Amino acid sequence: MNRLSGFTGTLALLFKIIFMGMVDALLLAMFLAALHKHSGMLELVVALVGILANIVYFSKRTMPFKFLYPGLVLLVLFVVIPVGYTVEMSVFNFQTGNVVSKTDAMTQLLNNGLVPDAANTTYDMVLGSDGGKFTALLTSPATHISYIANANSVVVLTPGEFKVNAQQDAVGVAGFIPYTPDQTANLDSVITSAKFPMPDGNFIQPQTGTSAALLTQTVHFDGATGLLTDTASGKIYKDNGNGNFASVKNPADKLYPGWKTFNKFQNYAHLLTDPTVRGPFIGVFIWTFAFAVGSVLLMFGFGLLLAIALDQNLRFKRFYRSIVILPYAIPSFMSILIWKGMFNTQFGAVNGLFHTHIDFFNSPWLARMMVLLVNLWLGLPYFYLISTGALQAIPADLEEAAEMDGATASQILRRIKLPLLLQILAPLLISSFAFNFNNFSLIYLLTGGGPTDVLNNQTAGATDILITYTYKTAFNGASQNYGLASAISMLIFLVVASLSLWSLRRSRVLDLVG
Amino acid sequence: MATQAVKKRKGRISKGHLLSHAYIWVLILFIVFPIYIVIESSFNPTGVLTSGSFIPTQFSWANYHQLFTDPHVPFPRWILNSVILATANALIAVFIGGASAFAFSRMKFRGRKIGLQALLLVQVFPSFLALAAIYVMMERVYTVFPPIGLGSLGGLLLVYLGGSMGVNIWLLRGYIDTIPLELDEAARIDGASTPQVYWLIFFPLAAPVLAVTALLAFIGTFNEFILASLFLTDVHQRTVAVGLNSFVGAQFGQNWGPFAAGALMASVPLVILFLSLQRFIIGGLTQGATKG
Repeated sequence: MNRLSGFTGTLALLFKIIFMGMVDALLLAMFLAALHKHSGMLELVVALVGILANIVYFSKRTMPFKFLYPGLVLLVLFVVIPVGYTVEMSVFNFQTGNVVSKTDAMTQLLNNGLVPDAANTTYDMVLGSDGGKFTALLTSPATHISYIANANSVVVLTPGEFKVNAQQDAVGVAGFIPYTPDQTANLDSVITSAKFPMPDGNFIQPQTGTSAALLTQTVHFDGATGLLTDTASGKIYKDNGNGNFASVKNPADKLYPGWKTFNKFQNYAHLLTDPTVRGPFIGVFIWTFAFAVGSVLLMFGFGLLLAIALDQNLRFKRFYRSIVILPYAIPSFMSILIWKGMFNTQFGAVNGLFHTHIDFFNSPWLARMMVLLVNLWLGLPYFYLISTGALQAIPADLEEAAEMDGATASQILRRIKLPLLLQILAPLLISSFAFNFNNFSLIYLLTGGGPTDVLNNQTAGATDILITYTYKTAFNGASQNYGLASAISMLIFLVVASLSLWSLRRSRVLDLVG
Repeated sequence: MATQAVKKRKGRISKGHLLSHAYIWVLILFIVFPIYIVIESSFNPTGVLTSGSFIPTQFSWANYHQLFTDPHVPFPRWILNSVILATANALIAVFIGGASAFAFSRMKFRGRKIGLQALLLVQVFPSFLALAAIYVMMERVYTVFPPIGLGSLGGLLLVYLGGSMGVNIWLLRGYIDTIPLELDEAARIDGASTPQVYWLIFFPLAAPVLAVTALLAFIGTFNEFILASLFLTDVHQRTVAVGLNSFVGAQFGQNWGPFAAGALMASVPLVILFLSLQRFIIGGLTQGATKG
């Protein structure tokens, strides 16, 4: 009782207040940082986490949540939200060239349409502020006409009303305070993004700290018709409903940047209908199944046989056992990289052993066999261990009864032990299948999915499985397609989830029976 | 007739044993082959197997020396990163996961059943499937909080913690359910509050299973490659897995010797850890097997 009471009282309360104070301070700092950057979602998330934390830990009626809260926050932030986001991305056109919002894309398109005018008109410029507004004094060296310009207008200055320097450039006018060179240097981003609109629809844009150029707008957007006209090329573009402005005459002629847009089930449809996507996808899909099934069968076959062999009263049994489980103890990424070196064409030990120079990595079938062999090496101990466990779980009297009935050893094995073993191990075989279905590190580290037939424009390699193909689609190469990658992720999830559900339901039934 | 049968049976058994020995030896050669090669080439100053001879002829520490002195290969730094990441993940995961598991196992509250079902559903979804989403998300986090955004060990730790939380809570809850309820009740009668029951009764009792969970989390983090390779682009931030892969991937022929030395150094502590604790780890495996 005395020992217990040390945990309550003022000391504990003080500790709690200090700790929560630190957490609150950290979250507040993060909130302010997010507010400063106008990140929207992040502010909301940080604020929510902070407010809920204070409610949970200072209220007296939330005892279970005091224990659950940190775990729940982590689960929601880093599993539930990414899963939700994956689902969302899978129905969006979200790829290189289509990553920003429509407004941002429009701004960029209009900016891209700003080109120097035919005469390459330039201006000498003095930057400063006028009534707190970012203002420029501009003088054309050719005509010696001077202007005062800000983000809203460009106005011609009447000669005599402003101060000039030796070159006849305007350098001062009433109310105008020029920036010091230091101030100019600090305003770099403001200067490069500044645009001064001329009355005729053209713009003057600063090029350096002291010069500006006249730009004409060649791209015009008509809000009423929704048409984008490029006066330079004479082409007319229309929103194609899939995140891009496309030429009215030739829909394949798209303007970039495009924007992120909802495209219903087009990513999924692409997988099945678009020949450039479908071809590799179906090949990868078949190999993923073949690889996962093949791996499980190989590992289970060799592992079970090993378990049966070591289940006897053998000499050196303990020695054998400790060697056999070694691959399970070595970090798997290391083993895979070691095997990669072993199969090397020039100096690899496999070629050294047979005095050959076989290029395992450039032949589709050799590479596939190699992947299976390495996976067997990696998985053998696990299957040996679970098979041993299952063998020992079979009651000995079953065997004795069968022996009395005159069954031979092989009959006992085939007719009694094997069916029982399969029943016991089925859930583990299923989960092993699910694991190998997504065995990213093996494929990625050993072959990188290759060999890839680049000459025929193949995007998927001979040993690519769905998860490595997803990774390539999302992150590798010149163009990244998050939308398509997310759609493949959802398909993988469907396969894995239905297997897991089946296995869970099965094990629950087994629990009830037991 | 009877003696003949016995003889025949004896003969068959020893023949079976002989076959078993042969089969086991084939597998042992297969298993030991790469391990032997790595050990051999880590001490081989030429670093390559050109002669085709598998009997070591030279011995030197040159490969090990290079790993600790070459500024382009910050191997000690990689090991440190991996150990920090794995330790932090193991400790925090067990600490937070243990608390949540305790609540699910011992407390009554509304939404408990739905919470457990949701947990089961969530842990079916492997976190790397949301790879693209996590990437885009953490890229945005980076613009506001660089220490926990893309490219940082802190951000990677958070993603690991979230990703393994579901499984950890689920596993720990299963174990806590087996701790007899009488112990908590006795403590409660003595006037202990729920946090006291947790810290003074439950925590010491669950220590062994917490340790095993922590160990598995440690090994899992040390082995993780996919998220780490996506997150850690800076050469000094890399974990051993990502670092060694990029090091050896660039110039396999040239870097094979130092790589073998690094592989050996990174593996030996884990192998020792595993072998000394194999009873617990394998116990869990076979238990799962027999329970179905």
